[in-house]
Amino acid sequence: MEMIDRYIYAVTQKLPHSQRKDIAAELRGLIEDMLEERVQGGNITDKEVEEVLLELGNPSHLAQKYRGTKNYLIGPEFYYSYILVLKIALISTASVIFGVFIIQTIIDPVSILQHFIECIVSLVTALPSAFGWTTFGFAIADYYGGLNPKVLKTGNEWHPSKLAPIPDKNRQIKQYEPIINISVYTLLIAIFAFSNNYFGIWIFHEGFSGVVPFLNLEQYHSYLFLILIFGFGIIKECLKLVYGKWTIMLVTYMALVNLISLIAVLIMVNGPAFWNPNFMFELTQADLLTKGSEAYKTIRIIWEQSTLWILVLLAIGLVWDVVYGLIKVTKK
Amino acid sequence: MNDATEYMDKLMQELRRGTITIGVLSQLSKPQYGYSLVTMLAERGIHVEPGTMYPLLRRLEKQGLLVSEWDTNETRPRKYYLLSDTGKEVYELLVNEWKTIAQRLNNIIEVKGEGTDGDD
Repeated sequence: MEMIDRYIYAVTQKLPHSQRKDIAAELRGLIEDMLEERVQGGNITDKEVEEVLLELGNPSHLAQKYRGTKNYLIGPEFYYSYILVLKIALISTASVIFGVFIIQTIIDPVSILQHFIECIVSLVTALPSAFGWTTFGFAIADYYGGLNPKVLKTGNEWHPSKLAPIPDKNRQIKQYEPIINISVYTLLIAIFAFSNNYFGIWIFHEGFSGVVPFLNLEQYHSYLFLILIFGFGIIKECLKLVYGKWTIMLVTYMALVNLISLIAVLIMVNGPAFWNPNFMFELTQADLLTKGSEAYKTIRIIWEQSTLWILVLLAIGLVWDVVYGLIKVTKK
Repeated sequence: MNDATEYMDKLMQELRRGTITIGVLSQLSKPQYGYSLVTMLAERGIHVEPGTMYPLLRRLEKQGLLVSEWDTNETRPRKYYLLSDTGKEVYELLVNEWKTIAQRLNNIIEVKGEGTDGDD
């Protein structure tokens, strides 16, 4: 009767642990009933057992029937958003890797082959991992979303009067725009996070020989602010993606995000030792400037006022962002 | 011919899926175990494979239409299933629905048959 044990094991091992024992007992009873009907009190041989198991069919198919209908990781409810986010994740990751490759090649063109190999290696490792994490996230969402009947119910309360008007062509946000923007922001974040020391004045003495950085490299938070700005940028692009058209709500949210990011940047820039404290000194060290010259004085003034200027530029940019949105909303 | 049987198989599968449930519920005003149900239905011309019946019984139980109990007094332990109160209610509603559907389909099939005859 070992064959029966094997069959039952093959079915139940593919089932949730909590049901195994019960199903195993029921299945054993069934097989015994079927055998008994076949032999009518006679001796049970391997031949009969085989026939009965063949009648019950492939254990994986039987297990599948016990498991029910949910044979997917990400169901139709989430599929569309899943594909969208997957596109964003893959394009962003790939653009970061290519961007880093291009920058490395500009800085150090001699080792282009090595950079290229690194680029390929990064692609091979990072793209599957981006794919994996996105899928993982959605699988979790699907699992818990599937358990929550409210998610399904909201879809049922549909009424023709709730149909959104077709957005004006001018107000529509093409889907690829936010996707491209998110990729660019991700690329910029990656560049600043991993090579913030290149953010400064580049010095060329018979080729690239170093950088006088703008930021205080000993303080981590000084380049955190760049990541912050781009991070808020990504949030805004996600909002655009969700709304799909310019509306007052979208512009309001964007204004809110801009305000928060401006405040955050204000706090950081005014924090201690944000900029490179030795910037002027390092410039003279690099023989770019002579102390006391006209150029030195001009650059010093610019350097000392840079905080103000950057904030002004940032504020203009963020205000323009909102104004642009308002123009799009009101445009006929 | 091959295509026709293939489509037929798929359609029959869909058709049977719903009707088997009605068949099973109809027999469970008294407690039955899986294999006894298979035999009872087979005697009345409705053939359900045990591999379909057993998972179906569990699903109906999970949905609350059936209640179950193990009987360990007999020679071998068996799990008996019985209609729950909800199950009884659902069964009656299902039967009414089924009768209406069957009647309407009959009408359509017969009327259409007459129609083509008339056209000829």
